[in-house]
Amino acid sequence: MADPDARPADQRGRFEEIYDEQVVAIYRFVHARVGNRPDAEDLTAQVFMRAIEQLDTSRDRGQIVSWLYRVSQNAIADYWRAFYRLPVIGTEQVAPGWEPMEPAPARERPGEDSAAVARVRRLLAQLPDRYARVLELRFLQRLSVAETAERMGISHGNAKILQYRALRKAALLGDDHG
Amino acid sequence: MADERGFEPTPDPMSGEPEAAQRFDRYLDSLIAGGRPSPDDIGDRDEAEMARLAAEISAAADPDGGAPDPAFVDQLRLRMRAADDGIAAVRVPPPVRPGLGGISRVRISRRQLLAGSVIGAAGIAAGGLAASVLRPPDGQPRDPIWDDGSDLISGAGEWVEVATMADLPPGGAVRFSTTAFDGFVVNDGGEIRALSSVCTHMGCTLRFRQGWQDLRCPCHGASFDLKGQLANSRDRWREQGGYADDERAYPIELPDLIRPAVRVAEGRVLVWTAAST
Repeated sequence: MADPDARPADQRGRFEEIYDEQVVAIYRFVHARVGNRPDAEDLTAQVFMRAIEQLDTSRDRGQIVSWLYRVSQNAIADYWRAFYRLPVIGTEQVAPGWEPMEPAPARERPGEDSAAVARVRRLLAQLPDRYARVLELRFLQRLSVAETAERMGISHGNAKILQYRALRKAALLGDDHG
Repeated sequence: MADERGFEPTPDPMSGEPEAAQRFDRYLDSLIAGGRPSPDDIGDRDEAEMARLAAEISAAADPDGGAPDPAFVDQLRLRMRAADDGIAAVRVPPPVRPGLGGISRVRISRRQLLAGSVIGAAGIAAGGLAASVLRPPDGQPRDPIWDDGSDLISGAGEWVEVATMADLPPGGAVRFSTTAFDGFVVNDGGEIRALSSVCTHMGCTLRFRQGWQDLRCPCHGASFDLKGQLANSRDRWREQGGYADDERAYPIELPDLIRPAVRVAEGRVLVWTAAST
């Protein structure tokens, strides 16, 4: 039944071409949404391993690219769903804006990193100054709670609480995740 | 509470749960350190939302600008080559139903060939891709998608139209019945799948619950997700801290629902069913 000769000789070449062209963008897309390297690598690998089994490389470039983003978006949604200690329900209920079927917004494709940075800037700009400041120190400058407290001239405990409140507030605002 | 710094006088929800707060702190610290944070450190949905926010912000501060490690890129390329070597092309017979046919190739991994079934993965591919391939750029009808299951296709059977895409918005399901088979076609976030409506416990007929996005058994309360897997098993209950508004997990494991091959052609949803004799 298997007929290895039926596979075009240049299939491999075509696949690697797609991989080489897309892997950095896909990784950035994923990384901007999971925030750490090991998970971003795992999810990126998952996307391309699935592509090798399921993606028809004879499709045109636009279709292939949107397939890759759709699969990435599903993988990211599944990833975050695993964090919710909640039943798996309709995606719009789990996480507004994480509709996996929507194609990735065009702006996310080229120069994905700057789009992600811009999105975070926009988010911080909507927060009260102290909230934006604590998030910037903690997550952009990656300081410890103690260092953050020192910079802000507040106690360790207060820095922690401020950080929670800022995150919670930002989570409520964060309706433009994509 | 020190209010001169502008904190609201409301008690912080974290303050009552020192252990939970410690866990969540551990999550944030690990994120900032660039490690892989553990989902076990997330206690509830609030924390999950906060974690996602923190992850997105710290991603924006990635020292490499979010670019992948070149070593990872090379390594994944090698893994893909190895996997690609295991992929064979097979020919499938033309369909029984005239006018949709033609011989085309599907790519099936050796592992799947050995396992004797490619229905699952291929069904997803067919459903997920359908919308994008229906209208080829040149306007000519394209060969139908044949990323379908070898088991079913090698037997006598036929493609039966069971719904149209208009009936199947995301999150929707349509019950269908052919001479040989009863089931649902579902739209799981853009992926079209066909699932048997027969519970794999004692054969009761499942009901679709839109709000929970599952197929529920009226007899003993098994819930199957839209991939056909038991959604309220004990393992998943533990993982997710519950299921829907159930009081307890479903106590035993159940096999997945049967998933016939499905494809979408010109807005019509077709399911492959065995020919009834």
